[in-house]
Amino acid sequence: MMFLKKITPLFFLFTLLLSTSHVGSVSASRFAGETSTPIEHLVVVMQQNHTFDNYFGTYPEANGIPANTCLAVSLSNGPDTPCISPFNIGSYPVTDLSHSASTFQAQYQNGKMNGFVGALNKLNQDGKLTMAYFDDRDIPFYWNLADQYVLFDNYFSSAHTGSIMNRMFSITGQSGGEENRIPVEGFVDIPTIFDRLQERGISWKYYIRDYNPEFNYRALRELDYLPPQIQWVPLLSMDRFLDDPELSSHIVDFSEYYTDLQNGTLPAVSYVLLLGATEHPVSDPQLGQITTRTMIQTLMQSDVWKSSALLITFDDWGGWYDHVSPPQVDKYGYGFRVPAMLVSAYARQGYIDHTQLDHTSLLKFIESNWDIEPLAQRDAQANNLTSAFDFSSAPRDPVFISALREVPEARLEPRRVVIYIAYGSAMLFALIILLRAHRKDNLQSLPRPMDLSEETRPS
Amino acid sequence: MDIKNLFSISERVTHRPLPNNPAAGVWKSWERTAVIRFARIAFVMCLAIGLRLWGLNQIGFNTDEAVYSGQAAAIAQAPILKDIFPVFRAHPLLFQFSLALLFNFGVSDLTARLLAVAIGVATVYVVYCLGSLLYGEDAGILAALIMAVMPYHVTVTRQVLLDGPMVLFSTLTLYLLARYALTERPVWLHAVGIGMGLTFLAKETGIILIGAVYAFFALASEINVRIRDLALSLVLMVAMMLPFPLSLILAGGSKVGGQYLVWQLFRRPNHTWDFYLTTVPVAIGILVIIIALLGLWLLRKQNTWREKLLVWWILVPVVFFQIWPTKGFQYLLPIAPALAVLAGRMLTHWSAIEPSSRSNHSRNSVWISALVGGIMILNLFAVSWQTIQPGTSGTFLAGTGGVPGGREAGQWIQQNIPANATLLTIGPSMANILEFYGYRKAYGISVSPNPLHRNPSYEPINNPNLVIRTNDIQYLVWDSYSAERSAFFSERLLALAARFNGRVIHTESVLVTSEDGTQIAKPVIVIYMVHP
Repeated sequence: MMFLKKITPLFFLFTLLLSTSHVGSVSASRFAGETSTPIEHLVVVMQQNHTFDNYFGTYPEANGIPANTCLAVSLSNGPDTPCISPFNIGSYPVTDLSHSASTFQAQYQNGKMNGFVGALNKLNQDGKLTMAYFDDRDIPFYWNLADQYVLFDNYFSSAHTGSIMNRMFSITGQSGGEENRIPVEGFVDIPTIFDRLQERGISWKYYIRDYNPEFNYRALRELDYLPPQIQWVPLLSMDRFLDDPELSSHIVDFSEYYTDLQNGTLPAVSYVLLLGATEHPVSDPQLGQITTRTMIQTLMQSDVWKSSALLITFDDWGGWYDHVSPPQVDKYGYGFRVPAMLVSAYARQGYIDHTQLDHTSLLKFIESNWDIEPLAQRDAQANNLTSAFDFSSAPRDPVFISALREVPEARLEPRRVVIYIAYGSAMLFALIILLRAHRKDNLQSLPRPMDLSEETRPS
Repeated sequence: MDIKNLFSISERVTHRPLPNNPAAGVWKSWERTAVIRFARIAFVMCLAIGLRLWGLNQIGFNTDEAVYSGQAAAIAQAPILKDIFPVFRAHPLLFQFSLALLFNFGVSDLTARLLAVAIGVATVYVVYCLGSLLYGEDAGILAALIMAVMPYHVTVTRQVLLDGPMVLFSTLTLYLLARYALTERPVWLHAVGIGMGLTFLAKETGIILIGAVYAFFALASEINVRIRDLALSLVLMVAMMLPFPLSLILAGGSKVGGQYLVWQLFRRPNHTWDFYLTTVPVAIGILVIIIALLGLWLLRKQNTWREKLLVWWILVPVVFFQIWPTKGFQYLLPIAPALAVLAGRMLTHWSAIEPSSRSNHSRNSVWISALVGGIMILNLFAVSWQTIQPGTSGTFLAGTGGVPGGREAGQWIQQNIPANATLLTIGPSMANILEFYGYRKAYGISVSPNPLHRNPSYEPINNPNLVIRTNDIQYLVWDSYSAERSAFFSERLLALAARFNGRVIHTESVLVTSEDGTQIAKPVIVIYMVHP
């Protein structure tokens, strides 16, 4: 009994210490789903094949096309070589320009950035087209979006090649191979951000417009073409995301984006592929604008608007001209700048963000926001998107962004002063005449009604 | 019979023989007369104000009120509303201009309705002046009392409509015309021109009363009119009308006026031929009409230019609007003051009808007229009282009051859906209400793409499928009032809601009385969110 009495306080002390240490471990590592910012939902829409200068080269205040830009039509670039100046694309026919790794090098010209036209001409493409740019006449919604939210003008594609490698960087922080192609055996043992989210129990989805679950890298053996869905969704070339229902069930049709918003089940992290509206030439940018506008508006209509951020970016440059020489951080990239816009209730208003970013900056934001370890060196070293947010201010109320850039034709209306003067004068005039009539009429002589007979009226 | 015999009871009371001390007697008599006169008119005015203010703002605007207030807000440069509502529509802007002066201190539906009430009450006073001028103080008081409680006038002047101001000025014109007929002083004829101009500026349809003036001068041979004075009166009338075309022309908008004229001329009838017959007499009061007509018949021997004036003032609008394809509940309101005066005349001049035994007859006639007048006034009051209570049927006739649930739905929209969102309703009526209260652009699916078949103010949605598919329209609004009028467009809107993943995000209900007499909440407005 004496022994028991002696050890009882020790037991309690031990229990107390244990419980305290447990509390400490929980507070050091945030609960799954807990975020370091008010952003609880991130939606990434990765479009295709345009450069920053191609979409926003003439956007005021942004790092756009320098004055007097004129690029030689051939790679020889002699003093007498004719050159092409940037021009508005207008009704110029858009074609799919070469955007392979070799084309990048030919256009990049070791950082001189003067081979854009010549590289394409050499491939018997219309090199002039690379100098065409879109502006607010062509992509009014994106320009309006930039006016109201954040436009990044120093955002680079991660790799100086096409979609596959850039999209691999966007979900793994790695290239996925030496070439811009899907290996025969698929991408093996490369951890993705979705693996990390799954491990932590954080919700995620990959929305694909017109998703066909039958199409994955295994089907390539029987197909004589590469379906875009397989090419642009690296998860469909990873066995575990095809075979493990716990993972594959997160790859869904885009229509679920709207039902998730309606039902309040939008995941913490969403990646979106808008097949058929990715703006990949020869596709019309209007299709992309309509779909992204609908996405944004539906997000604004939902309950999660004030805890969400939606980023629109483009996987690679698509062969179009951009004047900024991309920093080479490793042997894969960066590639040329691509457009990127951030929409959020916490996004700075009409802000041009000059922070150097690339697709792995998305991973950086996810990792910092949901307390996830970096996947690779690229994302570990990437800059974060946080400079685009202002978390010190109250979240902005949703305001639908117009799809029209031009101010609607002014309605036929008078200046208000005309109405005030015209009608005010009329009232004053009436008052004067009526008072005058009243004064002129000698009321004393006016016969009272009961005294009136037809005979008493003055003749 | 000498017209002096037509004195009313009060006239006889107020014109007693002078006492011995002339100065003191005159003062006392004047004092008493003035007090009685003031008390009677004060009672009438209080009744008029009370009936018009009671529960004035318990139901929000109807479509016309929303449009006129929206115009006023646009003139006052109210944020957002100035971009939604165009300044120019079909009508001149005198009332909207007046309202804009108030809206400079803030846009409010209550302010707008208070202005309408003030105009209505002023009209009651002008009717009193008119009745007094034509048939004596008692007839004036009785006519004003009839107007004060007449459901037709009460209903219309509780709303932000142009007909209330138009009737104020048309009644003023009638008063000025009577004054000219009494005195034949040119200055009153000139004033008639001013009055007609004001009537036009309040609402252009008031111009048809020129026909009544013409008929009166043409057929009342005892009234002399000099061409020079008539011409000057016309010039003054035209000068008064100038602000309407002037503001249009200065804005380069003469085309707008032309479009409205074409539309009005060629639009399809909106009601059957018997619309006025079935709605207006009840609103004016069957008894009022019967008594007025009886007076014309029974007192026909005493009929003078006065009755010609009043009868033409009634006939011209009735004939015109019966023929005019577009019909509206409130369009015949200008005839109400004339009818009220005629009814007042009959009741106060009852004693003039074929007296058999003069003293008995006089006593009886007082009782009869008091009884009939009392029944008539009580009846009018009861109907008005019933009319100003919130509707419990879930149906709605344009011009008869506010639209239950419309304001609440609009305010919900303003607070809960993103700025710059666009709505699609069944018809433009609900669109106008939601635009005013919701501060969001709204289109009516029933607006015809054919310019000849639509109000030029309304923009059609040529391809609703496309605009929803491109997410240019994000909300559909169904309402029971429009659905009742157009089942076709109601079904079309609901089909769009089904096709584009429509989800009900808000429902406005009103308490209605069901067939078994119980009160149930009936959904009157349903808002759907749609996306491609």
